[in-house]
Amino acid sequence: MNISGNLNVIGYGLSAIGPGIGVGIVFAAFINGVARQPEARGQLQGIAFIGFALSEALAILGLVLAFAL
Amino acid sequence: MTTTLLAAEELNPLAPHPIEIIVGLIAFLLLFWLLKRTVFPQFEKVYAERVDKIEGGIKRAEEAQEEAYVLRQQYEDQLAGLRAEAARIRDDARAEGQQIKAELRAQAEEEAERIRQRGHEQIAAAREQVARQLRAEIGGISVQLAERLVGRELSAETRRTETIDAFLAELDELAERRETAPAAGGAS
Amino acid sequence: MTTMATAPAPGFEPPGVADFNLPPVFGEITKPVLLLVFSAIIIFAAFRFTVRKPALVPSKSQFLGESFHGIVRNSIARDMIGAEYLKFVPFLTALFAFLLVNNLFGIIPLIQFPTFSHPGVPYALAGLVWLLYNYLGIKRHGFAGYMRISTWPPDVPWWVRIILTPIEFISNILLRPVTLSLRLFGNMFAGHLLLLLFILGGQYMLFTADSITLKVMAPFAFAMGIVFTFFEAFVQVVQAYIFVMLTASYIGTSLVDHH
Repeated sequence: MNISGNLNVIGYGLSAIGPGIGVGIVFAAFINGVARQPEARGQLQGIAFIGFALSEALAILGLVLAFAL
Repeated sequence: MTTTLLAAEELNPLAPHPIEIIVGLIAFLLLFWLLKRTVFPQFEKVYAERVDKIEGGIKRAEEAQEEAYVLRQQYEDQLAGLRAEAARIRDDARAEGQQIKAELRAQAEEEAERIRQRGHEQIAAAREQVARQLRAEIGGISVQLAERLVGRELSAETRRTETIDAFLAELDELAERRETAPAAGGAS
Repeated sequence: MTTMATAPAPGFEPPGVADFNLPPVFGEITKPVLLLVFSAIIIFAAFRFTVRKPALVPSKSQFLGESFHGIVRNSIARDMIGAEYLKFVPFLTALFAFLLVNNLFGIIPLIQFPTFSHPGVPYALAGLVWLLYNYLGIKRHGFAGYMRISTWPPDVPWWVRIILTPIEFISNILLRPVTLSLRLFGNMFAGHLLLLLFILGGQYMLFTADSITLKVMAPFAFAMGIVFTFFEAFVQVVQAYIFVMLTASYIGTSLVDHH
């Protein structure tokens, strides 16, 4: 069997693991916080989305590098 | 760019297409500008109107309630005043009635007293008159009796009693006659 | 990109980057360009339709328009930006509508191409957002004040700052537009690729492949394609939402007062 392809995509796959976990943790904490204190939802939402954007940035960098290199 | 698009099988997917950027930006900004000019002010106006309607309605209702409350207070005050006045008038009337009754009673008592007084006076006058008459007649009668006693023999006891009886009977007759005479003439 | 050689029938050529290089319809005009113009027109027409007779008690169409506007206004802009949110509601609503319609083009029959699986417009929109929030921040706090807000978190020991400040600068000033645009592009690109894979794969299994087993399996591939179409619908809505949400939150952090 002969497998050919771009090795970069494997690198992207690896780079997506960490952000995946990170995004999960961010939203788990957000859901926890809202469940404990529903009135703080508005405030928490902003923080949660900034944290989500920050950790997903790494996965997006991985995607860029998979195509760019 | 078209030629490269057509030619390049392996065009990097991260490479932008300039025409898309230009058209996309123009389309989006135009869309944004048009919506901002024409559509969204309408939405905001409707929201504002709705808020005004609801809050204005609540405010108006509150005002009406306030007014009704003031009015009710006024009516109650008035009613209380009226009730007090009615009570006062009733009390006055009762007092006046009592006074009138007392006055009337006093008057009646006075009148009764007066009538009684007059009655007493009349009775006293009648008695005096009778007494005067009697005094005048008794003198005469006594003289007659004495004459009669003297005229007859005063010897026999029986005669004497007869004479006295006869005299007394005569007196009775006299009295009867006198009773009928003043009853006919003496009402005053 | 990947070719697996199976003996007699021609091997399955999986969909790849080349599928996104569409031939021009005429001249320089390609399908995404037409879709961009088309999306702007239908969004404007739809909104105009909803407010043709604005009334206190909304009609059905007015209610729809108001709901759309209200979601952006009340649950995105107001929560994220704070006191001055009303100024930004038109921009955010137009942005949300534009993104949503262009994303949903990916699953609308006959169109079936998410415009933003080409990265040009996401770059442009993210650049617009970048200019907007930096302009607002500098206008509000001055250049030094804005830099302090975005790179100088309070109550941090100095030895942490050595690492933290460059990271904050990179992530807040440099990386934000990149991630904003590429998140959208990446999701649309991968989603479209996924659907292509299932549909083209099913087609290959049904018509090209020799093996009877593959022909029998083909309906499952189509079924998965349908399932993932629904999944893509969800992802497309969520991506449009996240784009607008992050835009609002960037604007909000630029305007916030740390004093």
